[in-house]
Amino acid sequence: MNRVGLQYLAGDLSGGNARCIAMLQAFQEAIRDYSTPPEKTLTRDLTSKIGGFVSFLIECRPLSMSMGNAIRFLKSRIARLPLTLSESEAKTTLCSDIDRFINEKIVLADKVILRHAATKIRDGDVLLTYGSSCVVEMILLYAHELGKQFRVVVVDSHPMLEGQKLLRRLVVKGLSCTYTQLNAISYVMHKVTRVFLGASSIFSNGTVYSTVGTASVAMVAHAFRVPVLVCCEAYKFHERVQLDSICFNELGDPDAISKVPGRVDVNYLDNLTDKQKENLELLNLKYDATPSDYISVIVTDYGMIPPTSVPVIVRGYRKEYLLI
Amino acid sequence: MGAQKKGATARVSEDPEELARHPLQAILLADSFTTKFRPITLERPKVLLPLVNIPMINYTLAWLESAGVEEVFVFCCAHSKQVIDYLESSEWSSQPNFSVTTIESHNSISAGDALRLIYERNVIHGDFVLISGDTVSNMSLTQALQEHKDRRKKDANAIMTMVVKQSKPSPITQQSRLGTDELFMAINPVTKQLLYYEDKAEYSKGFISLDKTLIADNPSVILHNDKQDCYIDICSQEVLSLFTDNFDYQHLRRHFVKGLLVDDIMGYKIFTHEIHSSYAARIDNFRSYDTISKDIIQRWTYPFVPDVLCGSSAIKVERQGTYRASDVTLSRSAQLGSFIFIGQGTKIGNDTKISHSVIGERCTIGSNVTIEGSYIWNNVTIEDGCQLRNAIVCDGVILKSGAVLQPGVILSFKVVVGQQFVVPAYSKVSLLQQPTQQDSDEELEYADSTSGTGELRSDKLNGDIAPDLSEIASELGTGGVGYIWKVFEGAYDEEWRHSVAPIPTDKLVKLMLDRDEDEELLTQDGNIISASGELKTDSDGNGSEDDDNEDSRDDYVSFEKEVEATFLRAVHENVKVDLAVLEVNALRLSYNMASVDCGGAIFYSMMKLAVESPHNSASELHRNAADIVTTWQKLLKSFLHDIDEEIEVILKFEEMCLESAKEFAALFPQILHLLYDKEILQEDAILRWADEKEGADESDKVFLKRSEKFIQWLREAEEEEEEEDE
Repeated sequence: MNRVGLQYLAGDLSGGNARCIAMLQAFQEAIRDYSTPPEKTLTRDLTSKIGGFVSFLIECRPLSMSMGNAIRFLKSRIARLPLTLSESEAKTTLCSDIDRFINEKIVLADKVILRHAATKIRDGDVLLTYGSSCVVEMILLYAHELGKQFRVVVVDSHPMLEGQKLLRRLVVKGLSCTYTQLNAISYVMHKVTRVFLGASSIFSNGTVYSTVGTASVAMVAHAFRVPVLVCCEAYKFHERVQLDSICFNELGDPDAISKVPGRVDVNYLDNLTDKQKENLELLNLKYDATPSDYISVIVTDYGMIPPTSVPVIVRGYRKEYLLI
Repeated sequence: MGAQKKGATARVSEDPEELARHPLQAILLADSFTTKFRPITLERPKVLLPLVNIPMINYTLAWLESAGVEEVFVFCCAHSKQVIDYLESSEWSSQPNFSVTTIESHNSISAGDALRLIYERNVIHGDFVLISGDTVSNMSLTQALQEHKDRRKKDANAIMTMVVKQSKPSPITQQSRLGTDELFMAINPVTKQLLYYEDKAEYSKGFISLDKTLIADNPSVILHNDKQDCYIDICSQEVLSLFTDNFDYQHLRRHFVKGLLVDDIMGYKIFTHEIHSSYAARIDNFRSYDTISKDIIQRWTYPFVPDVLCGSSAIKVERQGTYRASDVTLSRSAQLGSFIFIGQGTKIGNDTKISHSVIGERCTIGSNVTIEGSYIWNNVTIEDGCQLRNAIVCDGVILKSGAVLQPGVILSFKVVVGQQFVVPAYSKVSLLQQPTQQDSDEELEYADSTSGTGELRSDKLNGDIAPDLSEIASELGTGGVGYIWKVFEGAYDEEWRHSVAPIPTDKLVKLMLDRDEDEELLTQDGNIISASGELKTDSDGNGSEDDDNEDSRDDYVSFEKEVEATFLRAVHENVKVDLAVLEVNALRLSYNMASVDCGGAIFYSMMKLAVESPHNSASELHRNAADIVTTWQKLLKSFLHDIDEEIEVILKFEEMCLESAKEFAALFPQILHLLYDKEILQEDAILRWADEKEGADESDKVFLKRSEKFIQWLREAEEEEEEEDE
């Protein structure tokens, strides 16, 4: 558990799915090592234990919506454990529940998504993606394996430059790629035929909550009449309604945007006096919210849906939760 | 991508007084002194060949200018007239603060000769940049120069700084992407001193040998096989005088660099400067021509890219790396793919497909033509329905309708390919006949501007060529003009390595299979060779260096033979046991064996002697063996210090019984008993051997079973002893 938390903190683990899976696996280990103290019931005590872990993780890095959903799932599973079960039985049930969650909601969901999305890629397409989303990467590689002829434009931005990671993996696999920064988006958008975006979460009003910059990409694409496909597993959907990106967000390291890696000559912000720094706020937002107007379709494990249909899935999903 | 005028990059900053003393000079060798670009270089010097439609030398000169060089001496040899004429007519002759002086020579046959001549002229007054006219780079020299100068201040022997760049060669072909062979360099990671340079390592052996002193003298050495030599050198004046002193130095790397590294009398040192983000590469062969052209089109060499370099002639860069001059006539149905260059005045017909290619100026391309990965120079006519894949087509070539160029084809100047003719892969076609007396020594080859071919050229190129070439027309189909050059024996296999065409997959597969086999062989011999060749160091400086590098298995076999010979000599010449021990010990040291091996080997020779000496029955054999063991037990005993060695003897014996001396198989327990009696083997050793064998396969236990009684007896004896002790 500590290791996962520290990995979050150091930024070694990033990407919604990777973080969520790591967290669930850490929970699994914790459950295996767990033994109920005397005079307490497993259901109560384990729930509070998990609560403790979660608050530790939150201290390391705020949880994403998907992780919140996963934790809710786990807690509901614990709460619904029949009291007749012995401790070891309960533990194995929980572990297999977690395994099933990872498998069904993440791994299999991704497979379904890429099947759906690949049908939207045609020969001669120019696909644009922003940052590094593992679902989008899988879609591109899958379509490439299917022998579709297309080009990829990877758009990236400071300070994370995650797109370079994606770019490297795509180029290694032999895809033809163009790499550019977010500033050049209006230039490259001319020839783009599809935009594929990943998401951290999708709210019930259809707003897509994703890496900062996604909103501008979607907006430019909308202005150029290029369809925007958001690929997101259904477990990341959330019933919250959010209109802008300020009311719920995560702040990154402010120093990260004041410096440019590898460029010592860019040092305009160095050596500011404390007095001057009082007038300066370095705002490094991690996420932004894309209004549903800019999104043509959301590709999820339940199929391709318009953003207006998100509440249906959220509702159905919640029901399913209880039934699992 | 605004057009940044060249020269805008940072100039070398130096103290003003120093600058006044030495303007930075450069020697540019406008001759490669090789024949890799034949047949094209028979008619035009390599440095004037168009690289993405701009003569190569322009890239080099533009870089030198931007890097702060003020005086360039262009050394011309082959086709010197063409180079000089070109430079005089070009913009380079009238640049402020950048003077280009040509030095002409007709009898230089190597870079060494060129540098000697320049030394005689006495024009170089300080540090200079040595570069050949086919190098493309955009690196900044400032840092490298500064490092060079600082080192010089500390150590006057640091006379050269070589620019290197990271480039991992393919593990399959052992070639870099520039088509050059894998290069091994040993560099001191702290001082960056170059300690070893080998560009012609023999891969079949799978290892390279370094001098032991190299390891001894340097606290740390890194051996690289992932560096590419950019052929950009910053040299001090001494380099020129060194060439003059050593008049046999011809090749810059093979003679000069290696010569300096080996020579420890003068103590001259070469250092390296590694560049990371900037570009530097030399066009060494057709493959690098292809690679570097692509790099230029993909703008890795910025600011030395066509649209910037051409300046006035208005070449526009469009999406997906398409470079198009302003007055290209392009059919509406033509399909232009990515990464192409189309020069001025070129016409392209209907439904023609072009991708990853360069097309020069004033070319006429008909309809339904397919061009992929090809380099088409100026004034080329390609009629309808032709297909070109990975070919180089020089000026004035005519492809009649339906002609097909297979991958790797080179068509030299003004060749005509007949209708529907298919030019086979990797052929080189020229109007000139192949020179018959090809110099076998690569050093000495250079385009011969003075010999008979020169006259031939002037005849043919000036006038109408069709009549006197009619008899050879058949070689290129009806209406075709030109000779297809024959590939020399042995060179054919290598053709694909340096060709413009990408390496065919079947070659790669074949290489991979070969490699696997090799590796298996080597692994069987107990020596695993890593993909890049294993580094082995000489363990001692004297004559046995080579033996050391042989596989240890072979070593053991030859060691065993030696021991046997020694033993036999000892038996026949009645050598004293002490002397025999000494001799075997000496052998052990020189073969670097453990005493375990000695015991095994001696026992082997003893038993072999017993088998070979005349005997009629098993009992006689037993007696023979007993005699020999009795006589030589002291010799054997002196190598059996501990139980492990004794076990080794038993194992050896077992092996013999199974393989070489089957007669002993029946006598196994007796001999074992004999050895025990003579106190050569302790009972502990035998029991441990028995224990070890207990768990083995049935087949392995044959001898264990035979000697069961003996072992049983041993065990009982032991127990009794223990009881007695109690």
